[in-house]
Amino acid sequence: MNARSQTFELTMEGRQVDEAVASIFHTVLFHRSLGKFFYTAEGSYSVGTVGYTDVDCDFIDLTYVCCTSNLLDQTIKKEISGFSEMLRGNEGTGMGQISLEFFQKKPSRWLFQPECIPWEVWTIRLELITLNTEDERQVCREKVGELLTDKILYITEVMNRHDYLPKMPNQSELELIFDTSYQDVQPYLFKMHYSISGPSTGTSVGSTMKKLIRETLAL
Amino acid sequence: MANKLSNQDRKELDKFTKFLVFKAAQIIVQSRLGEKVSTQCKPQTTGTDWFNLAVPDLSDVLDETKKAFNGELSLPVCVEISLHTVDGDKMVLECWYVGIIPRFFQQRDSSIRIMPTVYNRMGILLKSLVSVTRVTPAYKLSRRQGSDSYVICYRMYVDEPQLHNLGDGVKHVRVGQICTPIGTLQLSLAYRTKMTISPTQTGRDNTIILKSDHFNTNLSPRHTRYNKIEENISLSDTMKIGAFADTKKSMVEPELIIPNIQFSKLFSEKLSPPSVVVENEVKSTLKEDASDHQNGNSQSDKRTPTITMMSTNDDFIMVELKTPFASVNANSELSMFYQEWQAAPPLKTFNEVPTLAEQDLAKQLETFESDMQTYDDVLKSLCSQSPNNN
Repeated sequence: MNARSQTFELTMEGRQVDEAVASIFHTVLFHRSLGKFFYTAEGSYSVGTVGYTDVDCDFIDLTYVCCTSNLLDQTIKKEISGFSEMLRGNEGTGMGQISLEFFQKKPSRWLFQPECIPWEVWTIRLELITLNTEDERQVCREKVGELLTDKILYITEVMNRHDYLPKMPNQSELELIFDTSYQDVQPYLFKMHYSISGPSTGTSVGSTMKKLIRETLAL
Repeated sequence: MANKLSNQDRKELDKFTKFLVFKAAQIIVQSRLGEKVSTQCKPQTTGTDWFNLAVPDLSDVLDETKKAFNGELSLPVCVEISLHTVDGDKMVLECWYVGIIPRFFQQRDSSIRIMPTVYNRMGILLKSLVSVTRVTPAYKLSRRQGSDSYVICYRMYVDEPQLHNLGDGVKHVRVGQICTPIGTLQLSLAYRTKMTISPTQTGRDNTIILKSDHFNTNLSPRHTRYNKIEENISLSDTMKIGAFADTKKSMVEPELIIPNIQFSKLFSEKLSPPSVVVENEVKSTLKEDASDHQNGNSQSDKRTPTITMMSTNDDFIMVELKTPFASVNANSELSMFYQEWQAAPPLKTFNEVPTLAEQDLAKQLETFESDMQTYDDVLKSLCSQSPNNN
């Protein structure tokens, strides 16, 4: 199965990176998170309610919305700041990319680890610029805000296309589809990865393809 | 298919649609209150938590929505957001609308679990609405509203969206659409991009008092340029009077007026190509005014009474024809020809003619008188030689 892939290319100042990436990934995760499932009896469950919170950016003219979940926010922030530090570090070229990948697990067979199959990947390619004057920073602040507005509108468009989503699982298979580690929300299983300098293809997709080919040959 | 939709499903679908509209109105209005919103996740969904999204109900908005529907749900329904200033000016910023496109052909993904699917998709649509409401220009305006400057208001109506209130350059955004058994439900937005309040929209008289003759076309440089042949322009005519200036002071004192028409014309024609200074003489670059030649000549005659031949070189007005579509080359050819003709060397004889002042007239007269006999002799000889005279 091919994963849907969306790539955004953005140019900005180093200090805007964390907020820009967070605004995109949080908007995606807000759409890709459900309320917590509570199973009452086999085959019957109730779904909780997702709360949302407005977030004002400090370095970009933008307000975005995220799920009201401290733990989810921390998870995202931790990954993004790791990427941001590397991108802005001295050894970097000021170019890099970070991906948010949704995947589902294949039920594990005897002795084997469950296999992760990505179904949607959101990638942000970033290039850093250095600005010298406050005027330039002000212009950049507005410009990046406008760019992210376009991206957020695009995300909502994609979300409303109603493309493939993993099927609602039974209780036993819930953890193959959703990340149940959060107390307040239940996002689809996701992971983030990043790399610095030079574009690279989604490693996870690549490794999955390799595995698929290997399996096909083994048969 | 529509005809296969059971009564139960139809009822459910209507209920979903109704609550979609109610929640959408809440989301839109709450996002324009000027405050950051934060709602909590709930493990257990209660009665008012539709679509698994925590959107609290504001009773005012709920009442307005019910009033707009008048008891029965009908589409399209619009939520109009407008800005009202303390001065009483009003500007419509955006119009959100939910409509339904009736379906005429079979839906592709008709499945048994149609209702849960529609319900989930409505949830996603409302999440998109939450995200989109934060990124339109009206959101930033609403966050800055205050009772001393402007406030943001909303209005709900059941009708086609009235987009003419949004000015020029309206932007359209489709937040999302859902295929249902009865048609495609659409949630869209149109918003204003030009944020200036035009004075014509206001009911109050706050126009600036302008002197009616400030923009008098007769005084504009453009006008004087095209009408200079028939008009005798003086410096005072070309002076513009400031909008609020005292008209008494606008009259230039007589001694300040330069009587020379030529120079005043140069003043008035600042827009014409720059004058070329050659040998400290102003060579005017006037074009079609034939009278300039004559004026120039007569002026120069008075100033330089001595060497008339040479004076033409300096005083003749240089005519540079700036033909609109001719190449630069053609123009220079003409002036080269003119220069050549003008620069033809004067005869040396005339150069050596002494002026009247330099000549001693008395001495000359004496010489002529002393030579009188010679002249008489010549005359006599001529007469004697004539055959008729005999």
